[in-house]
Amino acid sequence: MNHEQAERLLSARIDGERLSSRQTVALEHHLASCAQCRAFERGAYRLREAARFEVAPAVPDLVDEIMATIGTAAKPAGLRVVRPTRLPPRRLLPRLAPIGAALLVGVLIGSLIVGGPWHRPENGSALAAAEVADGISAAAAHLDAYQATFRIVEADLSPDVPERDLTMRVWFHAPERFRLDVVDHTEYPAPTTPTDLRLVVDGSRWYASGPAACPTAECPQRESVVRNRLPFSTDAPIPTDLVLPISTLADADRLTVLGQGTVLGRPAVQVEVPFERARPLFPFVEIGGDWRPFFANDRVRIWLDERNWFPLKWAVYPATGAERDAWALRFGLPDEPSLRPVFTVTALDVSTRTPSPGVFRIPASAMSRDQGARSVGLSEVARDVGFEPVAPRTVGGLDRYRVVVPTDDTARSLIAYADGLAFVNLGETRTWAGTAPFGPIGVQAEEVPLAGGGIGYYEPSTDLHGRRLSIHAAGTDLYLESNLPRPALLAAAAALPVRGLPMPDAWRVHEVAGATIERVSLEAARSAVPFPVQLPRTLPAGFGLASVELVEAGYGNGVTLYFRDRDADAGIGTIRMHLEPAQALPPATSASQSAVDVGDAHGRYTPDRSELEWIRSGVYHSLDAPGLDLSELVSIARSIGAGV
Amino acid sequence: MHDPDPRTLLRAREGDLGAFEDLVRQFQGDVWRFAYHFTRDRALADDVTQETFLRSFRFLSTFRGDSKFSSWLFRIARNCAMDQMRARNMYAERVTPIAGSAVDPQARVELHAALDAVSAEHREPFLLVEVFGLSYQEAADVLGVRVGTIKSRMHRARRAMMDALALEEEAR
Repeated sequence: MNHEQAERLLSARIDGERLSSRQTVALEHHLASCAQCRAFERGAYRLREAARFEVAPAVPDLVDEIMATIGTAAKPAGLRVVRPTRLPPRRLLPRLAPIGAALLVGVLIGSLIVGGPWHRPENGSALAAAEVADGISAAAAHLDAYQATFRIVEADLSPDVPERDLTMRVWFHAPERFRLDVVDHTEYPAPTTPTDLRLVVDGSRWYASGPAACPTAECPQRESVVRNRLPFSTDAPIPTDLVLPISTLADADRLTVLGQGTVLGRPAVQVEVPFERARPLFPFVEIGGDWRPFFANDRVRIWLDERNWFPLKWAVYPATGAERDAWALRFGLPDEPSLRPVFTVTALDVSTRTPSPGVFRIPASAMSRDQGARSVGLSEVARDVGFEPVAPRTVGGLDRYRVVVPTDDTARSLIAYADGLAFVNLGETRTWAGTAPFGPIGVQAEEVPLAGGGIGYYEPSTDLHGRRLSIHAAGTDLYLESNLPRPALLAAAAALPVRGLPMPDAWRVHEVAGATIERVSLEAARSAVPFPVQLPRTLPAGFGLASVELVEAGYGNGVTLYFRDRDADAGIGTIRMHLEPAQALPPATSASQSAVDVGDAHGRYTPDRSELEWIRSGVYHSLDAPGLDLSELVSIARSIGAGV
Repeated sequence: MHDPDPRTLLRAREGDLGAFEDLVRQFQGDVWRFAYHFTRDRALADDVTQETFLRSFRFLSTFRGDSKFSSWLFRIARNCAMDQMRARNMYAERVTPIAGSAVDPQARVELHAALDAVSAEHREPFLLVEVFGLSYQEAADVLGVRVGTIKSRMHRARRAMMDALALEEEAR
């Protein structure tokens, strides 16, 4: 062994890297007879001292600045109810199964495991999923006031705390007054900050407080205050699903009716959705404190009052399968049988009495975040922003409720319409210079005809936004955002005194990396490329073609098709299919790619992009969607051109 | 360096600002020190630290746990620092007088002189391993090189710095 080799080994050993026993013996042997290398070792330790104890400068505390930047510049979060970007595989196609079969299974399981009053449903008395979804949407517009008390029982927070007991109180007064209190009654084995939470919303002001979710037993309290809040802000939201599960259950494709019974002495219907869909029913876990984790596919069973659709009881049942087991292991959870609920919320009393105004008083607080929405009278808008906004007395049957303008100099107006829990926000500007439709709407939004001849650009609801529609009209741009169902939103937009025009070229045509991307009709795309453009016959329930782009690069034209859920984006995201002439797949770009058979063609699957690629008849196909797994992608791919 | 509680990480990934704040609190010191060593400029280190957390918040959903969270964060910090320095046209090597630390100024200046005596290629792994206590594997994750590369760079960094500081004079 020479000095160079010995020093290398010494250097690694000093850094705690493992040497083999052979290397250690050889090194020790060399050191015993080499003063130079012993000096290197001593020198290295002195260098370490110098580096560790003398380089360290005083570190500033930047937490507040960082959090302020994130609060304003990053995607809004706060109470936002979000899902993991990559969901565990879910059953997509079984959703198409007849409700009757699902009901039968549900009834059998339900009668075994649901405690409390439970009547076996009579034949034929079962409600269909669509009736539940429609019923909730219809009830939303008429609910003026609500108050309720719930008991929360949580299992397996930690080995020391196998069960927790909490109370939740909820008050609501339409349209935007809300309060939620959680009081923790758990007797902890060691001193622990209880999960006591409060959320109060009073129109333009929003307040949340609770302990930080910290790893230690005693956690600091956090307060979060918003002023000049936007009407129906998704950034500082009201968790109204506790009152009526509009976003959880408004989509009939995604809920299963299990059966009917009696809860709290009221006729009730039980439905099931996966946890990732039911998150709005668990808003308290986002406010603060420590809560057990949930798996995206855990099943949430919800009892709804059949007369007014109030949620009366909901419980989380663990999903089954290896993936859930691996997940549970990561969180150190004990074995959780799938038939035992791990989290239960039960109503103790529910009423529609109007809460007294004092309930919604926001506690005084030093720090607050400004959302920049200043409430003004309708007559003041023109003076502030320089135009008379489109402002009918009602939109979609909802009454005008609040008018805001930006606190900065942007010439925009936002008028909120509301009735009960239903709302429409109507935004407008006369000086839109963007390269996409005005409002939170992208250039790939679906073009929809409006009754009366106009055109709008529509996007389904997501975690961040309600259903949206942008209208580009002569001299003005407007958008609507709402929790009304799609047909009601389109009808409301059609009734506005403007006529929507097609997108101007500046929005339709973009140059990207040497290629020209042009939004076109399906017919125009078909006539511009030398290969057939066929649509998949299998798509997830509720999905349809949203938009088509023609991609003109130097080597020939390609086509990109975008498919979206018409109603609510529940985690699958946009399904994108790209076609262009090619004889072979492009070179591999990811180590984790694998070969897949796509019907009669050989394909390639890239899991980190959820992308399936294949060549058929001289055409390269690429299909991707953030929330689809391989089998779902393959079933869509196989339905393209098959049997046509 | 300890990785965060997986629950905190999960909550932060799901957009919980409180959980993310906990991550900021836990890692801001290390990120700032790393940025400072990289930029040698307190104000710039502040900017890099802010930018690092902003980027990590935006891209948290892409963190898949292939490497340690701290390695992932340092990799972002390094990219931010390089961007900032490129933006300020100062990516070239430079020496700045150091201020603000309470220990023996003479030793500090010498150590910095020694750090300046080695190339960035050797200084980076040295800082990650020696000052921040990363393993070779973690340093390799941050710098996007192989473990063997870290091993030889550590050795050469030590050799060069000892020569610069004349730490071995008794043996010469």
